[in-house]
Parts: sequence; structure tokens; C-alpha cells
Amino acid sequence: MARKRTTYDPFNAIAEPNRRALLEALAGNSLTVSALALALGWNQPKVSKHLQVLKEVDLVVERKEGRFRVYRVNAQAMKPVQEWVTQFQAFWAPRLDALGDYLNEVQTGEQTDDEP
Amino acid sequence: MTNHNHVEPTIITREYNAPMALVFAAWTEVDRLQKWMVPMPGVTCEYVYASIEVGGTSLHKMTFPNGNSMFLLTEYEEISPEHRLVFLQWPSNEAGEKLGNPQMPDWPKDMRTTIKLSESNGVTQLQLIWEPVNPTAAEAAAFEASRAQHANGWGSGLQQLETYLSSL
Repeated sequence: MARKRTTYDPFNAIAEPNRRALLEALAGNSLTVSALALALGWNQPKVSKHLQVLKEVDLVVERKEGRFRVYRVNAQAMKPVQEWVTQFQAFWAPRLDALGDYLNEVQTGEQTDDEP
Repeated sequence: MTNHNHVEPTIITREYNAPMALVFAAWTEVDRLQKWMVPMPGVTCEYVYASIEVGGTSLHKMTFPNGNSMFLLTEYEEISPEHRLVFLQWPSNEAGEKLGNPQMPDWPKDMRTTIKLSESNGVTQLQLIWEPVNPTAAEAAAFEASRAQHANGWGSGLQQLETYLSSL
């Protein structure tokens, strides 16, 4: 059966849990395929397959370092994703949770102030 | 022309262990809003200006750990202490000019949020109603589609994504 041709944008690239795991492993790190495989407990072809998709949409960039290729997250390309998360899907629920934390904090604070 | 595209609003409810007056103040006083009106931990919120009264507007800036920033413009339609607050909100630039949503061209231009509060035994019930204002058919469909995505479990991955975004 012919493989379905897929075109990716940053949004469907990160809709896949393995690729999110890969991005999380790369947060703040520059890693080689073998280091990623070790960190995630995957084989190298699996790492390469998902890296390829993330590279296509520019979420991950590749750099040569001596004999090795290292990969890191392209924070600039994450910006539209970040805006999307902020404006849309996750809009109110996390804010309401943050409000709960704030209310707990101020009330604890006010009680502490009352008792010297 | 009257628009008849009906959309079920998204309704989120929460209970807070706090008196209603404090919850209402948290929504209507700038020094309190700045402490919590953020989409995820690690983001800071700062109001550029705020006229929190009927017909008034506010503009707040959110700054992400990686330095990216975003602005939201809010226009208040109804303020009924201490039980009801209605406002419209738009992504905007730093001058408070509304921006479109390039990622989602059909996302409703105007979104209305209604906050309803009630209190019993020191616990405040909050109901948040989120809905498009007079949506076009395409906007109604985009709003509906977002709900379907939630139900498909994309929501469960969101927490991780937020954690990740915060670490950038």
C-alpha cells in the first residue's frame, strides 16, 4: 500500500507525543542522535525519524560539531506554537488554576500578617 | 444583518476556598490581576494601562521565560460587584491595536468571556463562559473544531507542552 503523503506544519509536528517527548529532551540541550536515543530509551532510527519531521518544520536545527551532528530547539520557530497555546486551546483553564494558587497565597499571607 | 450561527459556549467551572469579594477583586484590581493572569508558570504579567469600568479597556503584557512577549486588550461590557463580569478580549500589539490570528485565520474575531460568581459556606463557585460574538459560519466552525480537539486528548499533552515552553 502506498504511504500516505503528509505535509507538516509546527502544529501537527508537535501533535504527536513522541515528537513532544523529543522536544522536551532537547529543551536547553544540544544533543546527538545517540545521546537522544539514550535519554529517551529509543533506538536511533526512531530518533532520526522524528528528528527529521521536526527539522522539516524548523522546530529543531542541526549543527556539525567535529565528527558529530548535534541538534537543538529553534526557540524562534516555537513562537507561533506558544502564541497558539496562549491564545487558544489552553486559554482559560490554566489561568483559573493560577487564580486558585493566588487566592490561596494571599489568604495564607493575610492570616500570617494577623498573627505577629 | 442578523447572524444566526449558533455556537454552544465553552463553560469552565471552578471552586475556590475564598470569599466571593476576594475572587471578584482578583478579577478587577490591577495589582491582583498582575499576580495571576498568566497562561503558564514562569510567565509574568504587567498592565500597561487599565480602566476597569463599563466601556473601559485594559492592556496587559505577558513576558515568557524565553523573552517573547504578547499583549492582550480587554474591553469591559459589564461589571456587577461582586457576582458578574463580562468582557471581550483580543490579542493585540503593544499599542493596544487588535491583531488577527495568523495561525488560525477563521478563529472568531470577537470572543466574549462572562464570569459568574456565587458563594456558599465560604467557598466561591466560579463559572466562566467563553463564546464567540456573532460568529460567521467559518468562525463558528473553527470554535467548534477546537472543542473536538480537546476531546481527542490533545489536552492531555498540553500540560507537558506548557512545561516545555516554560523551560525555553
